[in-house]
Amino acid sequence: MSAHLIATNVTRRYGPTAVVEGVSLDLEPGDITALLGGSGAGKSTLLRLFAGLEPLDEGEIRLGDQLLSRPGKTVPAEKRRIGLIFQDFALFPHLTAAQNVAFGLKSRGKETARTIAAEWLERLGLTGRADAFPHELSGGEQQRVAIARALAPEPAAILMDEPFSGLDPALRGSVRDTALAAIREAGIPALLVTHDPTEALESADCIAILQGGCLLQQGKAADVYMKPESAAIAAALGPVSRIRAADLPAGLAGQAVPAGAELIVRPEGVVQDEGSPVRAKVTASQLTGPLCRLLLDCQGQALTALVPRITAPKTGAEIGIRLDPALTFIFQSADS
Amino acid sequence: MNTYTAIRSFRFRSIDGPALLAGLIIAVPVVVTLLAGILNGGGEAWSHIRDTLLTGYTTGTLGTLALTALMTLAVAVPAAWLVTMYQFPGRGLFEWLLILPLAAPGYVLAYAYADLMGLMGPFQVAIREATGWTARDYWFPDMRSLPGLAFVLTCALYPYVYLTARAAFVSQSVCALEAARSLGASSARRFWQVALPAARPAIAAGLALTLMEAAADYGAAEYLGVPTLTFGIVRAWQSFGEPAAAARLALVLVVIVIALILTERHTRGRAGSQQSSTRWRNVSRTRLPRWAGLGAVAACALLFLATFVLPMSRLIWLVMESQGQIAPIGRALVNTLILAGSGAALAFVLAMVIALTARQSGLIAGFARLMASTGYAIPGAVLALGALLVMGYLGITLTGAGAIIALAWVYASRFTTSGAEPMVAALGRAPASMGYAAESLGASPLRRAVSVDLPVALSGAMAGALILFVESLKELPATLMLRPFNWDTLSVRANAYATDERLAAAALPSLLITLAGLLPVILLSWRLSHSRPGDTQ
Repeated sequence: MSAHLIATNVTRRYGPTAVVEGVSLDLEPGDITALLGGSGAGKSTLLRLFAGLEPLDEGEIRLGDQLLSRPGKTVPAEKRRIGLIFQDFALFPHLTAAQNVAFGLKSRGKETARTIAAEWLERLGLTGRADAFPHELSGGEQQRVAIARALAPEPAAILMDEPFSGLDPALRGSVRDTALAAIREAGIPALLVTHDPTEALESADCIAILQGGCLLQQGKAADVYMKPESAAIAAALGPVSRIRAADLPAGLAGQAVPAGAELIVRPEGVVQDEGSPVRAKVTASQLTGPLCRLLLDCQGQALTALVPRITAPKTGAEIGIRLDPALTFIFQSADS
Repeated sequence: MNTYTAIRSFRFRSIDGPALLAGLIIAVPVVVTLLAGILNGGGEAWSHIRDTLLTGYTTGTLGTLALTALMTLAVAVPAAWLVTMYQFPGRGLFEWLLILPLAAPGYVLAYAYADLMGLMGPFQVAIREATGWTARDYWFPDMRSLPGLAFVLTCALYPYVYLTARAAFVSQSVCALEAARSLGASSARRFWQVALPAARPAIAAGLALTLMEAAADYGAAEYLGVPTLTFGIVRAWQSFGEPAAAARLALVLVVIVIALILTERHTRGRAGSQQSSTRWRNVSRTRLPRWAGLGAVAACALLFLATFVLPMSRLIWLVMESQGQIAPIGRALVNTLILAGSGAALAFVLAMVIALTARQSGLIAGFARLMASTGYAIPGAVLALGALLVMGYLGITLTGAGAIIALAWVYASRFTTSGAEPMVAALGRAPASMGYAAESLGASPLRRAVSVDLPVALSGAMAGALILFVESLKELPATLMLRPFNWDTLSVRANAYATDERLAAAALPSLLITLAGLLPVILLSWRLSHSRPGDTQ
């Protein structure tokens, strides 16, 4: 029943500079797509284009076969039935939690609206907080109210702009799980704008990477992680060690590396293996929780490895290492 | 700090002495008037006033306040919404032009409008010439009426609500408006159900200010012949020579003002208006289509013309027309400079003390601040009465230096809080840790105030001093009651000429007062256009 939300070749310019350029993105119903990128990558602008808060300069946006935006024509946000969730929650400060949720249900009549709002609050674990005003709620509660408010009118799609980064880390996980479960259940296209690769990998079904206004890659989360199409994409999804072919320690790659290429390896791809002839010195050993981050010096080349804490060597130790080919990517270097 | 911990950690600090003294100086006139109103019998004049005039005075004040409130809200809130949310030709200009009417006191606008709309004014003359009617053949709004007074006061005071509403709209969470859009709310619903309720406390604060000023008005009410309580207080003193009766009237007026303040507090209620937003984004103004844009320009232009340009041009025209026969006002100018100058000087010292002690919270400083804020809400006539009573008890006659001191005292009592505001704001921009750093380096509270906070507060001192001087210069009823014999100021001259129906002579001092009034208003609009909406000003 739900339709795809599709952007085709969308461009948005502020003056001469294109903030979003030629982006095509297909949001599938029931899937959460993370839009990942650094600040200034155009993530929020793309979200605002989907929401109808800004006009576009080229391309078009459709919901199923309904045209939402094309140059010169923008169906206004209030007519789109696309829910929005913001980083700062954007609750109406003068309305209670229940009234906030009921705001978008005006056409249903007072009684029905109240019942639906109560149901949504219950679903998000806010039963006792219905009559509280936003400033009386904790950050996590406020965000759950905002999510209930966006979902209650049964929108055709939902867009989230850094929805969890305003919450303190202890709360973030549980609020995110509750929220995303409710959104998946709604079975509508969902876009999650984030700058945090871990959040994108943990919560999204699909990942789209935006850089400088252009879409670099879109695909299933595991595919984008395991099969990045460029060095930039690989680096966007988490910390990596980058080694130029010329600087490659002898015997480390375990495969042919063309001259002028660049080798990218994720930290969990640097494996401690005492049987390996390639030796590296541990310059620092940092505890990160269950895992230990090792900063290594391998024949003058700096590498980062992630190993289980139990087996982690101490600073100053010399260990044998090899690279896991599944987590090692070879690209033609950009400067060659 | 809550009350309990404040009491527990109570100790008298070196800074508390000056704070308490400043608070006392400011609060005494109100307190004395109220005590006199409650304790004194009121005298024979009171039974006369009570039986024949009190009802009229009270309904006059209440009616004026109610009508002024309605008209102010109807004009100021839409104007603020228009310039904040929409883009149209001249928007940036109107944004600050609409503040300018704050420069002219109500009585100046009353003179101008009574003349403009009068029988011999340009509008009525034009009607008669065009139609050949006589004055009895048509209806024309009468400025000398309660609605006329409310109209004039709205013209002079609506910018208070315009300013607070605009500030609230500018700093509102844009995200909340966008969320409302995504939930299908039309632009009308977004205004009525999202933006307006969120701005309600700010609007109420501006309206309370407007109404306090309206309640304090003497000159416009007197000139337009509307009996109000403030008018009654001055009259009871001037005509009946009966301070006890005046104090009784003051009691009624203060009750009304306190009711206003309590109502304003109440509108804050439990519902929060605090935006949770930490992320701030520019309001993206909606560009109005051609005809709507022209409509917006017309509405703003009409508002500015009616409240400022039209009355001021009439006064200028009156001055030009009567060239050569203008009554000399040189002496009044000197008197004004001396009286307003000494008032501003005393108020400035008190304002500085208040601002510096406000920085270091403590029980006594808080109490002193509370006392200091009382004068701000109380009409000048009431404060003047208090000063008169104190001088009477002390046996000091109101001539020469005694009168100047009394008047300076009343000016200070009434305006210190508004003069302290820019200094408090200047201090507010410095981090609180600055003071803690000074204390951790062993500075006493007094040394901290003088060597750390004072230099910071000085950046707001110019604005504070200017506000104090100009407010003192515009003040009419207290000046009328307390000035030394034969010491007419500009405001007193303007009032006297106008009452004598010598409007051409009243026009020049009125224009000078407005001109002086423009200075702090321009300063304010400069600060407005140079502050980012994220700032808390």
